[in-house]
Amino acid sequence: MESSYSAIFSNLAKACEKQLRTTEAGLLWEVSRYFEKNNSESEPIVDLKGLSDALALDDKEHFPDLQATAQEAADRGALRMGVWGAKVNTIEKTVTDRYLKVGDALLEGKSIFVCEACGFIFIGQEAPEICPVCKAPQSRFSKIA
Amino acid sequence: MHAARNLRLCTKDCVCLFVCPTKATDTENGQIDFSKCLDGCRLCVDACPSHALYLVEGNYAEPADKPPAVAEKLFALLDRKTEEEQAIAQMLQKSLEAGQKASAQTLVLKALQKSLRIVAEDAAREAAYMLPQSEQVRSLIKQLLEQKPAQAPSAPGFPENELRQLLSML
Repeated sequence: MESSYSAIFSNLAKACEKQLRTTEAGLLWEVSRYFEKNNSESEPIVDLKGLSDALALDDKEHFPDLQATAQEAADRGALRMGVWGAKVNTIEKTVTDRYLKVGDALLEGKSIFVCEACGFIFIGQEAPEICPVCKAPQSRFSKIA
Repeated sequence: MHAARNLRLCTKDCVCLFVCPTKATDTENGQIDFSKCLDGCRLCVDACPSHALYLVEGNYAEPADKPPAVAEKLFALLDRKTEEEQAIAQMLQKSLEAGQKASAQTLVLKALQKSLRIVAEDAAREAAYMLPQSEQVRSLIKQLLEQKPAQAPSAPGFPENELRQLLSML
């Protein structure tokens, strides 16, 4: 799918930032932004209920599928991705479902944080000291504003 | 291979200034002057009492290819996460158009969008595109450039110059 290039290139941009190659990173961000436009061919997700259903399907089929294939091929990296991804997928679904149920009250007196390393979402006063999914430190959490 | 400074760890004891033979560690912006740094010298790395200096590799080994069956599952997940992220982006746009700039809904959507992107990037990384300086990435860029004429009329703003520059730099 063509729009998947966006995440491929934003990942490469971040990889260049880690190598302090800022010129390459800037170019890669440009390419990533170009592919951000929507050109999905399949049936679109239109609301949070649809997202919740899609995440449920990922949890039921796509992540177990990846985990089994990675295990069989003894691919540690892919298996690690499958395990973290499935955990984060569960959190994404929980946040989606909770918001559908309680609405804006979900964030009352609280902030929402995302772990930049694995995507874990945390709702509370302060980000956790260590990410429960990937063990990244508090400094890798971004507060959403 | 040049040194770099992790500014979060740097305690400004400045021992790196004592040992650097080229004054590459002495800068205004706090970072090392890479152009003055001697390849693989590492005197500052070993001298730093806070372990704030490290070496950035310049030449990386080509990563091994993924087993095709594994890559296929990872690409499938990348597509799923991309679709989900795009759906969120549309909901977010509607929410912003409705003037919900700092509402709880906007914040929840933004968090989901970011989270989905990070998972998508992880899938892309494990599937094939971990290292920018790799054959996989160069062939992807070449492939995008070759496809360009077919899509150019319907795709204004195609980042051809950016892709060509990247091809020469990576």
